[in-house]
Amino acid sequence: MPKRIAIVEDDPAIRANYADVLKRHGYEVSAHANRREAMAAFATKLPDLAILDIGLADEIDGGFALCRELRAMSATLPIIFLTARDSDFDTVSGLRLGADDYLTKDMSLPHLLARISALFRRADLAREAPQTEDLLERGPLALDMKRFAVTWSGQPVDLTLTEFWIVHSLARHPGHVKSRDQLMSDAHIVVDDSTITSHVKRIRRKFAAADPAFDAIDTLYGMGYRWKTA
Amino acid sequence: MPSRTRLFPRFGLRAKVLVVAFVLLAIPIAGWSYLKEVERVLRVGQEQSVIATSRAVATALHDRPKLLDLRARTDEGTDPATATLPGGARPVTPDSRAASEEILLIVQGLGRSSGRIWVVDRKLNLLAIAGGLKRAEAAPHRESAWDRFVTAPLRPFLERVLARPTEDFDDALPEEAIAGGRDVASALDGVPASRWRHTPDGRAAIVSAAHPIWHGEQVVGAVVVEETANAIQSLSSDALERLVSVTLVAFLIGGLTLLLFASRLSGRLLRLRDEAEAAIDSQGRIRKLITGTGAHDEIGDLSRSFSTALERIAQYNAHLESLASRLSHEMRTPIAVVRSSLDNLRMQPPPDEARVYLDRANDGLARLTTLLTRMSEATRLEQTVRQADRERFDARAVTAGCVAGYATVYPARRFEFAAPEGVIELDGAPDLFAQMLDKLAANAVDFSPPDAPIRVTLERRGGDAVLTMANSGPTLAPEIAGRLFETMVSARRDAGSEPHLGLGLYIVRLVAEFHRGTAHAENLPDGSGVAVTVVLPLAGARVPQSSSPATARSA
Repeated sequence: MPKRIAIVEDDPAIRANYADVLKRHGYEVSAHANRREAMAAFATKLPDLAILDIGLADEIDGGFALCRELRAMSATLPIIFLTARDSDFDTVSGLRLGADDYLTKDMSLPHLLARISALFRRADLAREAPQTEDLLERGPLALDMKRFAVTWSGQPVDLTLTEFWIVHSLARHPGHVKSRDQLMSDAHIVVDDSTITSHVKRIRRKFAAADPAFDAIDTLYGMGYRWKTA
Repeated sequence: MPSRTRLFPRFGLRAKVLVVAFVLLAIPIAGWSYLKEVERVLRVGQEQSVIATSRAVATALHDRPKLLDLRARTDEGTDPATATLPGGARPVTPDSRAASEEILLIVQGLGRSSGRIWVVDRKLNLLAIAGGLKRAEAAPHRESAWDRFVTAPLRPFLERVLARPTEDFDDALPEEAIAGGRDVASALDGVPASRWRHTPDGRAAIVSAAHPIWHGEQVVGAVVVEETANAIQSLSSDALERLVSVTLVAFLIGGLTLLLFASRLSGRLLRLRDEAEAAIDSQGRIRKLITGTGAHDEIGDLSRSFSTALERIAQYNAHLESLASRLSHEMRTPIAVVRSSLDNLRMQPPPDEARVYLDRANDGLARLTTLLTRMSEATRLEQTVRQADRERFDARAVTAGCVAGYATVYPARRFEFAAPEGVIELDGAPDLFAQMLDKLAANAVDFSPPDAPIRVTLERRGGDAVLTMANSGPTLAPEIAGRLFETMVSARRDAGSEPHLGLGLYIVRLVAEFHRGTAHAENLPDGSGVAVTVVLPLAGARVPQSSSPATARSA
C-alpha cells in the first residue's frame, strides 16, 4: 500500500511540482491550499507524512497552527516544514511544535525525497526491536543508523534528521575536523555557514539536556567542528 | 569634525553683533552736538550781559566832560611805550591822576569779580582799568557718586582728550586789543559793539563789549568790559566729561550684553552644526540631535526640522537595510517554483538537445541561490546579533585558528599572522568573531593578486584589541571608502564569476558593533593596497555608553 503524503502549500506551482515528483516516486499525494481545507481532509483520514508551509495565504502562521493540531491528533506522524522563512526564530518555533524537520524552499527535490524516505524508515522501524548491527557507538554515544535514533549514555536524544546527519558526519571519524561545507553535504542541505553554526548550537543544547557535562563537539574556528576522541 | 578652508576670514555672529553695537555711538554724537548748542546759547547770553554791563558803566560816565577833557589835554606828548601798567595798560601820567582816580572809583564801583573794565578816550588813551580776567579758582563743586566712581577714574584719560579751561593764561591787555579792536573802534564811532577774541597765548576766549561815552552829541570815549568764557567752558567740559563717561559705561554694558547674547546664540548654533555634522557617521548610522530640541525659538525649530529630516533618512536607511532580507524572502518562493520544475524535468529523462538548456538553467539557478544565501546570511546575522549570548573568549586563539584554516580554504594564498604573546580577551561571541574574520579574509583574497601575502595582525592598543587585515591590490576610491560598510555597497569594479552584493563588509560592521567596536577601511600608507581595521574594546575595559542607531532596524 503506497504511503500517503499531504502537502499544504498556498503557491499552486510549487504545490503541483511537489505533488508530481512525489507521485512519480510512488507516493499517494493529497495537496491542499489552506488550513481549513487541509483540516477537513485530515479529519476524515490522517496522512502518513505531512509537508507544511508556514505562511498560508491569509494566515501568516497557518502552518504552525496546523502542525499543533496534527501533533495533537498523532504523536508519531512525521511532519516537515518546507518554507521560505529561514530565521532562527521560525526554525526553533517549528521544531518546538513537534516538527521532525525544518527545510527552506531552496532545498532540491532529490534532497527532499531522501529526507522523506528517511523519515518513513524512522517511523516504520520505531515499532520494531532495535538491531545491533546498524549501531555506531562512540563512547556514550550510540547512533542507530536505520532508525535515525540517538542515545547518550542510554538516554534518548531527540534529534531532527538534519541534526542526526551532522552528528553522524562528526562522530563517524572522531578527531577529524569537518568543515561546514562537508557537514552541509553530509546533511543533504545547502545553507549558509551561520545556519550550520546554529544547528551545532542546537545539537549541543540537546545533548546537554541529557548530560550537562557534554562537551564532545569541539569548535575549531576557521576550520569547522570535531568530535572529541574519547 | 572636518576643518573648512575659507576664502574669506570668518566673520561670525559675534563680530556682526559687535559691529551693530556701534550704533550706540549715535547717542554720544547727538549728546555732543546738543552740548555745543547749549554752549553757544550760553555764550550769547554772556555776550549780552557783558554788553549790558558796558552800557551801565558808560551811563555812569556820560556827560561828565571834566573827567575826559582833563585826560584829553594831558595825554599829548606821552610816550605810550615807556611803561607798562599791571595788566599791560598804558601808563597814566601823574597829571591825570586825579581824573583817572575818579574814573577808577566809578569803574571799580561797577567792577565785577570776573570781568575787567577799562575806559579809553577818543585818542585811545587808557583812562582807567579795574578788575581782572582771572577768576578765583572755583570751589570744587560737590561730586555725585557717579562723578566719584565713574568720571573720576576716567579723568586722566578724559583730560587728555577734552581741553578744560584754564585760569593760567596771559591776561595782559595788548595794544592790539585797544587800538585794533573792532568793538572799540565801533564804540568811538558811537555804536556799541561786542566781539570774541583769544588771549595772546590762545589759552582762553574773551568776550568784550565796548560802549561809547557821550558828551552831548559827541563821543568822548569808550567803556570796554571784558570777560573770559571760562565759566561756560568749564560747565560745558564738565558736561562733556559726564557724557563721555556715561557713553563709555553704556557702551560697555550694552556691548557686553550683546556679546553675551551673541556668544550664546552662536554657541548654540555651533553645537547644532557640530551635531548635525556628526549625526550621520562614516558608517551611515544616524544619531538623534539633542541641542535645542526643546527650545521655543528659531534655533529650536531648526533643530527639530533637522531631527525630522534625519529621522526620515534613518527610516529610509532602515528600509534599505531590510530590503535584502525582504528580497531574499520574496525570491525564495519563485526560485522554489523554478527549482522544483527543473528537478521534475530532470527526473523524466529529457531529450539530449534539451539537456544543454536544462544545465544552463541549473547554473543560473545555482547563482541565484548563492545570492539568496548571501542575502539571508546578512539578515540572519542581524537577528543573531540581536539575541546572541556574550561570553569571554581569546581573540588571539580564534584568529590564529581561523588564519590556519584559511591555508586549506585558500591553498593558493599566503596568510601572515602576527600577534603579541598572551591572551587577548574579548567579550562577545567567538562564532561571530570567526564569521567576521571569514568575511575579511574573503574580501582580502578577492582584491589581492595571487602571489601577494595577506597580513593579519592583532594587537592591544590602550583598552582595545585592534585587528588589521591588509592586502596589496587596488586602492579604495575616496568616495566609497566611507560607505564600504553599508549594506549592498561594493567597491568591486569587475563583475567576476561569483555574484557580489556588498554584504561582506556589512557583516564585518555588524559583528564589530556587536562587540561594541568599529570597523574602517583605508589605503595602505605606501598606496600598495588596502587595510581593513577593526577596533574592539577588550573584555573588562571600560566601554563608553555606545550610542545606538536612531532607529532599530525592522526585522
